[in-house]
Amino acid sequence: MKIETIITAVIVLSVVWGGLIYFIRKALFYEKQKLLNGKD
Amino acid sequence: MKQQEFFSTRWALIISVLGIAVGTGNIWRFSRVVAQNGGGSFLIPWVIFLLLWSVPLIIAEFAIGKYARLGPIGAIGKIAGKNFSWMGAFIVMVATGIMFYYSVVTGWCLRYFLSAVSGNLMQVDNHLEYWNQFASGYLPLIFHFAAIGVVSFVVYRGITNGIEKFSKILVPTLLIILFGLFIRAITLPGAIEGIKYFFTPDINIILDYKVWLNALTQNAWDTGAGWGLIMTYAIYMRHKEDISLNASLIAFGNNSISLIAGITIFSTVFALSSVDAMQQISQSGPANTGLTFIYLPKLFGQLSQSVFINSVFASAFFLALFFAALTSLISMVELATRTLIDFGVGRRKAILFVSVIAFLLGSPSALNMSFLINQDWVWGVGLLLSGAFIAFTIMKFGVNRFRNEVINGIGSDVKIGKWYNVVIKYLVPLQVIALVFWWLISSVSWDPEWWNPFHTENAGTALFQWLLVIILFIIFNKYMYQKTVENSK
Repeated sequence: MKIETIITAVIVLSVVWGGLIYFIRKALFYEKQKLLNGKD
Repeated sequence: MKQQEFFSTRWALIISVLGIAVGTGNIWRFSRVVAQNGGGSFLIPWVIFLLLWSVPLIIAEFAIGKYARLGPIGAIGKIAGKNFSWMGAFIVMVATGIMFYYSVVTGWCLRYFLSAVSGNLMQVDNHLEYWNQFASGYLPLIFHFAAIGVVSFVVYRGITNGIEKFSKILVPTLLIILFGLFIRAITLPGAIEGIKYFFTPDINIILDYKVWLNALTQNAWDTGAGWGLIMTYAIYMRHKEDISLNASLIAFGNNSISLIAGITIFSTVFALSSVDAMQQISQSGPANTGLTFIYLPKLFGQLSQSVFINSVFASAFFLALFFAALTSLISMVELATRTLIDFGVGRRKAILFVSVIAFLLGSPSALNMSFLINQDWVWGVGLLLSGAFIAFTIMKFGVNRFRNEVINGIGSDVKIGKWYNVVIKYLVPLQVIALVFWWLISSVSWDPEWWNPFHTENAGTALFQWLLVIILFIIFNKYMYQKTVENSK
């Protein structure tokens, strides 16, 4: 497999899927905090 | 009018809005456009425009809906001022114009799902003929009716008992099916060739401006940003709900699903196609149906020796496609219904009216492919103007004030920085101007009579239909503002 194929795959997947995982974790974190603080 | 219904949790809201964003554009348009624009060369600008178009506009839609608690006509009037309700009406018109033919497309997916489940689809010899026979008869009208019927039932039940409840079933099921197909596709012998093509960039193609414009168009059409649909669902956000984090989750979630669908289709086509795989993926066919309704069914027939197994995979694919279309159609019907509710009509009467009109005005698209292509062209490009109107609304309100008071206001988990001002003030308008001009000028090259408003796909028909509705909406601007904004006080 060409090096540019691997680089493109890494960039695209890390930005898009990595971004999604990052935002899901953030949302879970804030939801947990709200639960602990007893907020809606 | 006091807001009475809300999405019950953050996750219910996210799943429902993801249902808007994930549509047939992710599954069938994305793969075709990637193939037509050099595979990996397309993906880099596509990721960049996710950040420059989709995320900022989805944030804007969430914020406008949550702040105004009205559909697009009232919301734009309330935020941009009483002279601009017509812009909201244009946004509603674009989404509703798309709804009329999108219901037909949803019906196609349902028909192919039923055909696959019954095993008939796997016994077809000539899939082009099978498609042409279906498309030229009265069956699309019946399935269009069925699609509108199902969706109207969901919207009639309201937000919590209808949209939220059904989205909680449809969206996870769609994701599970897509993931199952993804695993099967990448484990097919020869699938790696498709994955290689999908991610291999060509520097000469990356430098072509058309690839960038296509990448921007794909983000504009398949994320739901700028349609007014997310704005409508945001009316039902709880007061203490976050905007920016939820919006980012939707945008990245949508594009993640596009990647899964793209890898699945490229792997399948390269693994099973004996002829030129690239040509098969990038072919458009009538109304861009070639890959999905003609070539993929043929490939599913080659998956194994067992008709039963092939039918299972074909059924799963078309069920996923049907669910993706259905959840997007639900939001379009809700937008039209909510608009009538803002005008003082009850939900029951509103949904009855919307479903009857949707069936009647969608029928020409069900019976005549040229009509469908015309509507897809006119309102598809019109969608870009909707994005511009949303950016204009924020500018009229004051971008900095909007960011501080609305986006970063009550309930925000993540604060948005000043970069947002630059994107909304300069980059979104620039992207709209570039895209609208490019699409209209391109149409001159494929139609010598580019000015003729009665042709299927040219600048004349788009400008004629846009101008017609804009003039009409400007005439009724004051009435619309009074009925929606002033009556809501």
